[in-house]
Amino acid sequence: MSEDRLRDLLREEPLPGAAEAEGRGLALVRQAYAERRTTGGPVLPRLAVALAAATLLAALLLSPAGASVRDWIDDVFTAGIRHAEPALTEVPGGGSLLVQSQRGPWAVQADGSRRLLGDYREATWSPHGLFVAAAAGRTLSAIEPDGTPRWSISANRRVHDPRWSPSGFRIAYRAGNSLRVVRADGTRDAQVGMANAAVPPAWFPPGLHLLAYVNGQRQTVIAETDTGRAMDAAGASPGVVGLSWSANGHRLIEISRRDLWLRDVRIGKLASSLRLGAGRRVRLPAAAVVRAAAFSPRGRTIAVLLDRSQGPGPPRSEALLIVPAGGPPHRLFSVSGHLTELAWSPDGRRLLLAWPAADQWLFVPTEGGARLRAIGDIAAVFAPGHARRATYPRVEGWCCPSPSNAGA
Amino acid sequence: MAAESGALAPDKVRQPPPREERRLIREAQRGSADALAELYAAHWPAAHRAAYLVVHDAGAAEDIAQDAFLAAVDRLDRFDRRRPFGPWLHRIVINRAIDWGRREALRRSAGDPEKHSGAAAPPEAIGGELMPALAQLPPDQRAVVVLRHLLEYTPGEIGRMLELPRGTVNSRLRRGLDQLRDLIEVEG
Repeated sequence: MSEDRLRDLLREEPLPGAAEAEGRGLALVRQAYAERRTTGGPVLPRLAVALAAATLLAALLLSPAGASVRDWIDDVFTAGIRHAEPALTEVPGGGSLLVQSQRGPWAVQADGSRRLLGDYREATWSPHGLFVAAAAGRTLSAIEPDGTPRWSISANRRVHDPRWSPSGFRIAYRAGNSLRVVRADGTRDAQVGMANAAVPPAWFPPGLHLLAYVNGQRQTVIAETDTGRAMDAAGASPGVVGLSWSANGHRLIEISRRDLWLRDVRIGKLASSLRLGAGRRVRLPAAAVVRAAAFSPRGRTIAVLLDRSQGPGPPRSEALLIVPAGGPPHRLFSVSGHLTELAWSPDGRRLLLAWPAADQWLFVPTEGGARLRAIGDIAAVFAPGHARRATYPRVEGWCCPSPSNAGA
Repeated sequence: MAAESGALAPDKVRQPPPREERRLIREAQRGSADALAELYAAHWPAAHRAAYLVVHDAGAAEDIAQDAFLAAVDRLDRFDRRRPFGPWLHRIVINRAIDWGRREALRRSAGDPEKHSGAAAPPEAIGGELMPALAQLPPDQRAVVVLRHLLEYTPGEIGRMLELPRGTVNSRLRRGLDQLRDLIEVEG
């Protein structure tokens, strides 16, 4: 074989999906470039500003007037999407958000109106957004989106991870290590099993009151909560911290800081039996830390939020879309710095990503047709008057565009 | 057909000409997204193909090429326009591809059954005669072959890119070619 022949072979070897990959790459590069330009100015002035900021940062340690200096430095290093909308006047794509702030959960309606629901530490929507289950100390409460309490029950340990079932008739929660389920009217509270505190339970989406959780022996368990029967159990993936079901219940992902593990789930007729398949590792980019992952509401795609730090450059956050059936991950969005939240819109057409350093929420379209929208000044909305001292608001759920259906 | 399979036209190997490239970089540094897109269009095909030929995995190759371009965007303001863009980009691509290949080899040797989960079809299912033959070479040898015979760098340039002595580059090239010659049917 001559060198010319080898050259021809190297150039002509079919490269699957080349045109699509080029298009995806260009979109990503354009977006990274646009984001970079928002930090403004050529390199020398920025370096000078950075040096000045570093000097001031040192001074901050000595200065009694620290707060004002800190504010200035925050401003210098804040990036973000240029021309972000200055206020949350609507929820792009519709639906209602549940947002946990330091003062408690807020219900944000599609038109941007919002209400603080009370002094609760965790909260979750009911499936149709008509109620919220909220935890505070040893109390689990059901409240209406205007903050009106409907009922409360007390547990003997601190209550965490409330999760309303897709049927609307059950609420799962953890009290200490005890995993419990209560009816949606606050009655018949009962223990289902012993749960690993690091992993919130996840309801089987098709209904039937089946619940996935990780127990104290680090097994992933599927339990029929009305009877307490364990339908199947399998060794949980290493380091699992989260679970997410596909919409049809045929797949379950186990989320750890370094990996995603995907299990096929075999469901018998009328869900009389249910078998967990072996976990398969979903390949992620190198040097990635998983911040969050979730199946889309339609269950065809997994969104993953990753932190990546490679080489001497600044760390990056990326949102990827992964099709469980195969194919390479599609990088949807990437920024310098850290994104911290990932929530699917109810119709699966947008992802909400939080960018605390820029004080922005990004509503990123996952399909063609919509445009990316960035909304700024988020911290102040959920901590009026205390935005800089408060922890950044956490998105607990994005619910249901049409709450007119019956049920919860 | 060429467009569908992504075959690389000869004029796409080390394009654009230096003066044009300097102009594009200068304009991109000044804020022209169009110039950046032109730069991307000129360099993506070769970078993507080079990554693919080393890693043999479409998803990983796309990721590696994307990473290289994102690194370019990150460092655009500091880029010295007097230096060519291609070698800088190719150095990132090839080194990351080698790292990826080594990591995959380690995973395989550790018995990780998930090697192909979420990945494209294995190369033998989609490629012609070349990919199975290239797959027989270790990643760093593949990289040298790709740098020499696809991207047309000299052994000295390859040595600087991979931080290898020129003699090592030459011996890897020779061994690689001998092996490929044995594996690929010699044309009549």
